[in-house]
Amino acid sequence: MTELMIDAVRITKKFGKMTALDGVDLQVPKGTVMGLLGHNGAGKTTLVNILSTLTAATSGTARVAGYDVITHGHDVRGRIGLTGQFASVDEQITGLDNLLLIARLLGASPKQARRRAKELLEVFDLTAAGGRKAQTYSGGMRRRLDLASSLVGHPDVIFLDEPTTGLDPSSRNSLWEIVERLVREGTTVLLTTQYLEEADRLADRITVLASGRIVAAGTADQLKGDIGTRTILLTLAHPGDVTVAMDALKRAGLHPSHDVTRRKISSPAGASTDLILAVRALDRAGVMVTELGISEPSLDDVYLALNHDPKADADNANAVTQIIKAISAA
Amino acid sequence: MSSSLAPATQGAAWRGSSLYTQVMVLTGRSLRSVLLDPKNLLFTLLTPLMMLLLFSQVFANVANTPAFPKGVSYINFLMPATLVTTALSAAMTAGVGFVNDLRNGVLARFRALPINGGSVLAARSLADLVRSAVQLTIMIIAAVALFGFTPKGFGVVGALLLALVVGWGLGWLFLAVATWMRNPETLQMFTFLAMFPLMFGSSAYMPLEGLPTWMRFLASVNPLTYAIDASRELTLQGTISSTAFTSIGISLVIAAAGMVFAARGFRRQ
Repeated sequence: MTELMIDAVRITKKFGKMTALDGVDLQVPKGTVMGLLGHNGAGKTTLVNILSTLTAATSGTARVAGYDVITHGHDVRGRIGLTGQFASVDEQITGLDNLLLIARLLGASPKQARRRAKELLEVFDLTAAGGRKAQTYSGGMRRRLDLASSLVGHPDVIFLDEPTTGLDPSSRNSLWEIVERLVREGTTVLLTTQYLEEADRLADRITVLASGRIVAAGTADQLKGDIGTRTILLTLAHPGDVTVAMDALKRAGLHPSHDVTRRKISSPAGASTDLILAVRALDRAGVMVTELGISEPSLDDVYLALNHDPKADADNANAVTQIIKAISAA
Repeated sequence: MSSSLAPATQGAAWRGSSLYTQVMVLTGRSLRSVLLDPKNLLFTLLTPLMMLLLFSQVFANVANTPAFPKGVSYINFLMPATLVTTALSAAMTAGVGFVNDLRNGVLARFRALPINGGSVLAARSLADLVRSAVQLTIMIIAAVALFGFTPKGFGVVGALLLALVVGWGLGWLFLAVATWMRNPETLQMFTFLAMFPLMFGSSAYMPLEGLPTWMRFLASVNPLTYAIDASRELTLQGTISSTAFTSIGISLVIAAAGMVFAARGFRRQ
């Protein structure tokens, strides 16, 4: 079994009467990306704050990079990088000075600090802007400087709390590339996001958080396969065939629905044989189609399904937990 | 370049710096942001000079009132007090800087670093002390050159140091308030609310005997009154008395209390 860089057990956090986190478990193996997915208020930032030693949990234990976040906070802080939802850079000083400051605080000599700062400015494409006050930076540049600041000390674990919220698509893309490079070079990443696309692209495993509880966990494919449903989609060659086609599909035991504006018929595909059933039924009824296929569920479907029905949430969580147990036991 | 993003297991590892380095680096950072903002710097220097000009003109006739010390010009009466009130307004900005750091997330970054929270606060205080020292020195030179201020000997240096100690002590108080209020607007309102009674309910602009009874009482418990009286003794007579030590003592008590509450407020999340 590989080394766990984040190991949180039954983390609960209460703010007065409000329960922000309710018995959350989170295990992240070294060198992997864990995507923490959830709406605003789901508890993502609270969990990040606990793991990065900024907030103490009400109960539960957590180890990050091998150290307990409560008893060895100082050791944890020396091995993590934190990039928050809002770029936390000192706007009154230059980009270069921001990085020098962090390096010196971490214990680098002035010379080492300068070398490290220049290196990071180059990686993050900020060399030209390094001598300017951070106040003058664009949103994307600020976010890059923020991430660079988190990486000054070569952290083992980096927390990215909604790193691309509010960024334009090209800035988002360049940030993703940097994260991918980080992981290639061995860093462990905990990424919180509201964007399914982001989790799908970057995360090895995804944990879905809703109202402070884990409602699903697994790889993106597992979540899609186990919880989402696939859909048969077909487009009729002759729009006049709608009634005939619908009847034929219903007789075959399917539950089709008709999208009038797009001239398409869709039907949930429970079993993999459903597609064959649909083809046979349509053939027998003499209906011609121009397009026929199965669409995989998107992470959005998963997310919506999980967040709509609290009862279903619990059931799904159980199902997924069992699957994951089975996988990790194997 | 290929390993520049790699974790420490593959590269250089820094695991923290000494308290001294932390305070020095953080102080340097605060001072640098002051230097990089020339407009702000200019206004910080101009404001007390303008106050000095206005007060010396508006209140010039106070020098003719019966309670006023004989043979003292109003500028010589006003300037030692202005040293103290300027140190007071500098003290108030300690809290503003802290709240700004909090708002733009810099503080969260510091808290996630392996550094001591106390050094963040100490650096704020130290940076303000340095800034204050420069500001007050320039003021004294300008007052001598432009406003006819005639201090007696080197007592004025003592007055400068006293003003710095008082400002430093009060700075911790405002820093403590800032760690609990955490909101720039509320903090600013609190600051103004606190500033005017402290400034005017003192012996700064009027001898105590010239104040209404209730204000005289306020002024007699106002720590600034001690500082101002001691500052006047130092600049006008070149002597030091127990008033100066009382004032230093009060400042140290205020600083100690401020440190305790600031440290607690800083840890609160």
